[in-house]
Amino acid sequence: MSGKTKVRDIPSRRVLLTDPSQLPIDYSSTPGGTLFSTTPGGTRIIYERHELLQLRNSPLTRTPPKNLPKIAGVTSPSTTKGSPQPDSVNGQATIPEEKKCDEDPQFEMDI
Amino acid sequence: MNNNKFDALKTSDSDDSDNENKDMKEEREPVTPGPGEHALQFAYTFWFTPRFPGRQASSLNFEQNIKYVGTVASVEQFWAYYSHMGRPGDLTGHSDLHLFKDGVKPMWEDPANKEGGKWIVRLRKGLASRAWENLILAMLGEQFMVGEEICGAVVSVRFQEDIISVWNKTASDQATTSRIRDTLKRVLNLPPNTIMEYKMHLDSLKDNSSFRNTDVFVR
Repeated sequence: MSGKTKVRDIPSRRVLLTDPSQLPIDYSSTPGGTLFSTTPGGTRIIYERHELLQLRNSPLTRTPPKNLPKIAGVTSPSTTKGSPQPDSVNGQATIPEEKKCDEDPQFEMDI
Repeated sequence: MNNNKFDALKTSDSDDSDNENKDMKEEREPVTPGPGEHALQFAYTFWFTPRFPGRQASSLNFEQNIKYVGTVASVEQFWAYYSHMGRPGDLTGHSDLHLFKDGVKPMWEDPANKEGGKWIVRLRKGLASRAWENLILAMLGEQFMVGEEICGAVVSVRFQEDIISVWNKTASDQATTSRIRDTLKRVLNLPPNTIMEYKMHLDSLKDNSSFRNTDVFVR
């Protein structure tokens, strides 16, 4: 398309206040209109990744939670004696399964 | 915070069968943020499932195997657990680590999940720890922007690959599922041609498989 592009201002509206009494009672709304100070439909507690990471080293996170259960492989080392170990419990069955995986990368999950 | 919906689900769970293990059945005190802590929009629970290759797969076994790790209601509580747990990359054997909204069990049959499904991303070995952290931080921080649709996330450590899944409540809600897919791509920083798969839990119940026969999407 040819032709000159006409410069146009972004549409806006000015509201002139001559007296403080013209200010809205509710200061979270804008004179002459409403701005949402919250998300329509309700507020949510939102955190960006970096905000969460900043709280990572808070002193509260240094000690393990009081009720942290000892679960071999995830909250305590999997070498713990007496704990069931996924690999050693059924060691012989592991080998054929691995072979199967080589043939079919989408091997069956057992949920 | 509005967790009433999940409390309601909890009550309806109590008349479930007697096959559940102690971890699944146990009544727990509601977890709340401590003084001065940063509250999360929803409380979440860590679960862990060690897997025993060769054992018969069934929903019953799943319920017997799953272990309750803990529930967090604030950012600080989350880090306290996370910092004292193994990373997916360090887990040995076949195992699943779940982080689900409090009151939602990480099972297809849970009332919050039964109409739902999950997005699946397969990762080559070595990528899971970072991907899992990015995913759960996005979930806890409400980055998915799909209302109450997110049910939880799972990382599944397998022999040749690691699999990350995000579960949502309504599999038929396309606006929601595509928004979850796009957010997932963004937070995991996935290359544009990454294959993503979606599977309805109803189909998982039918073929008793979590990651087979999925609907494949490439974009």
